[in-house]
Amino acid sequence: MVRTRNRNDRRRSGLVISKRRFVASVTIPLLLYESLGIFVLGWAFVLMFFDYSPGRLGGPILGLGGSNPFVGLRNFVEMFSGDSVQATLFRTSLRNTIIFAVAVLPLNLAITLPLAWLLESIGNRFKSLYRTIYFLPVLTSSVGVALIWMSMYDPQAGWINAIIRAFGGTPVAWLSDPRAGFANVSIAMWAVIIAYLWQDYGYNMVIFIAALQGVPHELREAALIDGANSWQAFTRITLPLIRPTMLFVCVMTMLSSFQVFDVIQVMTNGGPNNQTQVLMLDIYKSAFRYQNMGWAAAESFVLFLVVMGVTLFQMRVLRTDWEY
Amino acid sequence: MKAKILALLIVLTLVLTACGSKGESAAPEGTIVLRFWVHTNNAFIAGYEAAIAAYEAEHPNVDIQLENFDYELYLQTLQTAMPAGEEADILQLFGTWTSQYYERLTPVPAEVMTVEQAQQTFYAAPIGGFIVDGVLYGMPQEFNMEYGGVLVNKTLYEAAGLTYPPQWRTMDDVIADAQALTQVDETGMMSVAGFHFACADPTAFSFLAGIKQRGGDYWNADHTAFTFNTPEARAQLQFMVDMVNAGVVDPVVFNDSTNFVIDAFFQGKVGIGYIGSWAIALGQTNYPDFADEWDYFYLPPIQGDPVFVADSGWGLTVSPNSQHQDIAWDFVRFVTANPEIAAQWNIASGTIPAMPAVAESPEIAAAMPWVPKALAILPYGEYLGNMPDRDLVVYEIIYPHVLNALQGVETVDQALQAIDTEANSTFR
Repeated sequence: MVRTRNRNDRRRSGLVISKRRFVASVTIPLLLYESLGIFVLGWAFVLMFFDYSPGRLGGPILGLGGSNPFVGLRNFVEMFSGDSVQATLFRTSLRNTIIFAVAVLPLNLAITLPLAWLLESIGNRFKSLYRTIYFLPVLTSSVGVALIWMSMYDPQAGWINAIIRAFGGTPVAWLSDPRAGFANVSIAMWAVIIAYLWQDYGYNMVIFIAALQGVPHELREAALIDGANSWQAFTRITLPLIRPTMLFVCVMTMLSSFQVFDVIQVMTNGGPNNQTQVLMLDIYKSAFRYQNMGWAAAESFVLFLVVMGVTLFQMRVLRTDWEY
Repeated sequence: MKAKILALLIVLTLVLTACGSKGESAAPEGTIVLRFWVHTNNAFIAGYEAAIAAYEAEHPNVDIQLENFDYELYLQTLQTAMPAGEEADILQLFGTWTSQYYERLTPVPAEVMTVEQAQQTFYAAPIGGFIVDGVLYGMPQEFNMEYGGVLVNKTLYEAAGLTYPPQWRTMDDVIADAQALTQVDETGMMSVAGFHFACADPTAFSFLAGIKQRGGDYWNADHTAFTFNTPEARAQLQFMVDMVNAGVVDPVVFNDSTNFVIDAFFQGKVGIGYIGSWAIALGQTNYPDFADEWDYFYLPPIQGDPVFVADSGWGLTVSPNSQHQDIAWDFVRFVTANPEIAAQWNIASGTIPAMPAVAESPEIAAAMPWVPKALAILPYGEYLGNMPDRDLVVYEIIYPHVLNALQGVETVDQALQAIDTEANSTFR
């Protein structure tokens, strides 16, 4: 009896040790990884108070001070009230980023939600095929997408202008004409928005399809029996029920729109006349092209605040207090 | 248990070995390994490989390992590696960057070359950027001449019934030829630009050269501020706008992002393409099937002497963290200041030599017939000057505003005012 209890105790303590080992082996690397991430964020936070360039030697502690002087909040004051080229570019970039995000979100929803609804309503035979086709651009490299659209927008050899010519219209320099615009937004910005939407819409469409599949058919059928038409059933039943998904899609689309970089860098590099210069591109150029790391860190902080503010606003507006 | 401890020790040893090796590959005992970083340009790399082979043949105990990075990545790599002290022993550096990096560089030892010797050995423009506050930090390999050189399409010239080779005495002659070369499609869009000068470097450097040739300057007397809002700058920018109005180029369809001059020229869409001679090797590499006949010429000055400004182009320097600085500097001197090796590198890379002795050599004239055409104007080249941020001033201030003026988005006065204000703001 005593021997059995000892054996059990030993087995239990062995289990506890192996559990602890497992926890330690998982937690320690994770903590190390996280601390690395926190160090990077902390370094960026410190840098935004300095006029820091990696090309300069600076002071003895991490190169801060000396020829990389402490400037306090001067970077932020300059951003919003200065007349330097960096301040002007920052304000232009912020405005363009907001235009881009505000245009992309409703356009994305206007494409993906009806498309998801349409795909959900067709027979199972073609559903997978269409879903795959529409999702393919998401899997494509952003640089590849940008190059394809650049060739289509080419003013002389692009097929968009070829169609315009075929109908007797005047061709447009889509990516390089600073004078052309639509709805007070430059034509180059619309051109990159269209390319970005084309690549991105499949992602939200798949999420909406999943959400639509989760809506109980009984609710919709009951509404139809009570005399509602399809549109009313969609807007009064389906749409409110997928509101949590809508919140997720809106937040994620807004986040990615505020961080757009690769498509624009390849297609226009911010041109023409800075009309497509967005914040991520400006941060990248400030940090790595012009070696102004302090300024770039301050810009990143502003972008973080903007994104956080917009996300909190969306969560408040689209919040739901019920489940089904 | 012992086996586990042994296994852990082996892994730890491997990890520590990997961390401590700094990427050096195995080399025979007694061999000195030097790492050498350059930006990716296949023509340049071919030249470096030949120079390394020549040096290693003379110094069998030295192994120079060449590593190349895409241009943008190279900038980022330098910016992250230098503060960490992890950069290579030998670094390729664009001369004009020296004023931004000199705190992290080591001066050229006097026994390798003094400032005075360098100024006698190299043209003024290429060496200018490598000297900061009277100290020499590197040695140039090329005369980075963005002013004045043009690719000319002989096939288009003959199709337009023009005399070839061009007989330009003034810029009016160039404009007349360009007008005859320009073609417009049925919708009114320009399909062939007679004279494509609307890319970033040609636009910026012809603007600066025009100011100089008209007797002005874009620096104040002590180089502490820019002076872009001057009568000379206004006259030059107006001259460029007038060329657009004369129909030689449509800067909306032909600029830096659409129909870049090298691509457009080697696709037969440009009659006269304004670009540095470095474009020749690149164009031949990228467009081997281009069938039109062409050559490289130099434009006449706006007025007076062909005074122009130039960057200090690519050159070499040594890291202060190198364990073998003496050998690294010896290699740099071998590549940059040995006329035979320097000439081989210039021929391989298609660049204009930084040394007059090399530029004037028959070897260069045979391999690069456009260089003798430049010899008359090379001595007029002045160094651009140590700007607080050269790339910001040239690519984010001068070029965008000049292009705005050419495209009709800004008036000449608005563009000059903006350039003056924004360029001076970089001094803060």
